[in-house]
Amino acid sequence: MIQLRSVTKKYKNAYALKNVNLDILSGEFVFVVGSSGAGKSTLMKLLYKEETPTSGTVMIGGINIANLPSDKVPNLRRCMGIVFQDYKLLQNQSVYDNVAYVIRTLGISTKEINARVLGALKVVGLSDKIKAKPSELSGGEQQRVSIARAIVNGPPLLIADEPTGNLDPKNSMEVMQILDQINQRGITVIVSTHDSAMVDYFRKRVITLENGEVLRDIQAGTYE
Amino acid sequence: MNKSKQNIKKKVKQHIPKDWLTELRIVYRIVMETFNDIKRTGIVNLVIVTTMAAILTIFGALFRTTLSVSAFAHELGNVLEISVYLKPSVSAQSASKKMKKIEHVQKVRVITKDKSWSDLKREIDLPDVENPLPDTLHVKVDKPENINYVFGQIKGMSVASDMSYAQELAKKIQFLNQVVNTTTIFVVIIVAILTITIINNTIQLVIQSRKDEIEIMRLMGVSNWYIKIPLIMQGALYGFLGATVALIPLNFVQNMLNNVHKFFLIPSPLFAGNIVIITMFFFGILFGAGGSFLSIKKHLQV
Repeated sequence: MIQLRSVTKKYKNAYALKNVNLDILSGEFVFVVGSSGAGKSTLMKLLYKEETPTSGTVMIGGINIANLPSDKVPNLRRCMGIVFQDYKLLQNQSVYDNVAYVIRTLGISTKEINARVLGALKVVGLSDKIKAKPSELSGGEQQRVSIARAIVNGPPLLIADEPTGNLDPKNSMEVMQILDQINQRGITVIVSTHDSAMVDYFRKRVITLENGEVLRDIQAGTYE
Repeated sequence: MNKSKQNIKKKVKQHIPKDWLTELRIVYRIVMETFNDIKRTGIVNLVIVTTMAAILTIFGALFRTTLSVSAFAHELGNVLEISVYLKPSVSAQSASKKMKKIEHVQKVRVITKDKSWSDLKREIDLPDVENPLPDTLHVKVDKPENINYVFGQIKGMSVASDMSYAQELAKKIQFLNQVVNTTTIFVVIIVAILTITIINNTIQLVIQSRKDEIEIMRLMGVSNWYIKIPLIMQGALYGFLGATVALIPLNFVQNMLNNVHKFFLIPSPLFAGNIVIITMFFFGILFGAGGSFLSIKKHLQV
């Protein structure tokens, strides 16, 4: 599903990623780990085209998104779900509206939107909070809303950039379990994290980055 | 690879039905988005619409006045004629035919020397002498600024013993027309600069206040045009509302100018009121949307 070939990202004089080669298959659950500044976020940003590689190719579903014109980027992002460390929720809108926002812009009927939003909120266990505003929710709940928003359009790929970075261990575990459940439904999940306990607990494929290079790539690995 | 690509496309398509109802829903939601944006702008809306209305009122009033001044100038221009006193050897009819062929000549009226003499005798008691008057042609020109050209052309034909026209009046009318045209262009430019600047700044404030929200929309894959169109429509709507409010003071100006026309027995320009209203709405909406578009281009990186 995803292929990175000789990907290098350079900011002025510093390399964020150096000659990265990766293959991620459809349906995989992958942890991308590494210390701060290792290049995890840059790698994630390349996948949702927030950044463009200095050189190399980033293929998603057979399309090299490194050359994707800017007007096609929204189309790419609608084919994937993205979860951020800081949740990125619309503070003045309810849980329901936050989840429904993007699919509303696609012209889907209200009935269909309702079914999809309630379905997504059920997956993350927030069916009883549809009217609440993000400020009325805990950090874990807010992150679950952002996961619901990410999966509401039924994407084949979910990218989570440090999804547990702002959460306590209990909420982190809940969020990771939800991501695992989503993966079991066939969605490819890529999670960048430096939460070693989670990585060790779930025993998924672990790609370790160091100074912008792939240090290790181990199936059913640990943080180390 | 192709199979995987097709699978993704298929999966996306089944979630994005494309039919006329879908398009209609998108349009409806964009319109609702525009109204939501306006609602969130709050009291600032009132300030913007009032300012737009004030600018458009000044524009409408000046534009309507220039139309009236043009009508007055045209009416004065209508009385401008070149009087050509023909040489005794020249036939009035053949000279008239030649002059009609000159560019910008609208009409040539022949006053025979017999008619002039009888008219004169009717006005003053004259002794019974031989008619000393020449045949006269009154040449009417299409525009006051062309009178000098036509005058020169007739002079070159060497048929006239003497020629005259109200040169000073022609010059004044020409000057008046120039002032009217220049003022109109100047006012349109000023209105364009003012409205575009105001809307530009307003939309910039809207973008600043919604920076995080726009960023989230962008990252979630909301189309660029779905983010931009409501902002452009917001600018256009300010122009429309400003023009609507400006109709009230403009009505007073229209009535006042109509009374002036009635007083001088000069008809108001045809459809002047409607022309001014349509132009005001056109410029209001165009400059409103234009100001918004420029602001988006400068401040919205999507």
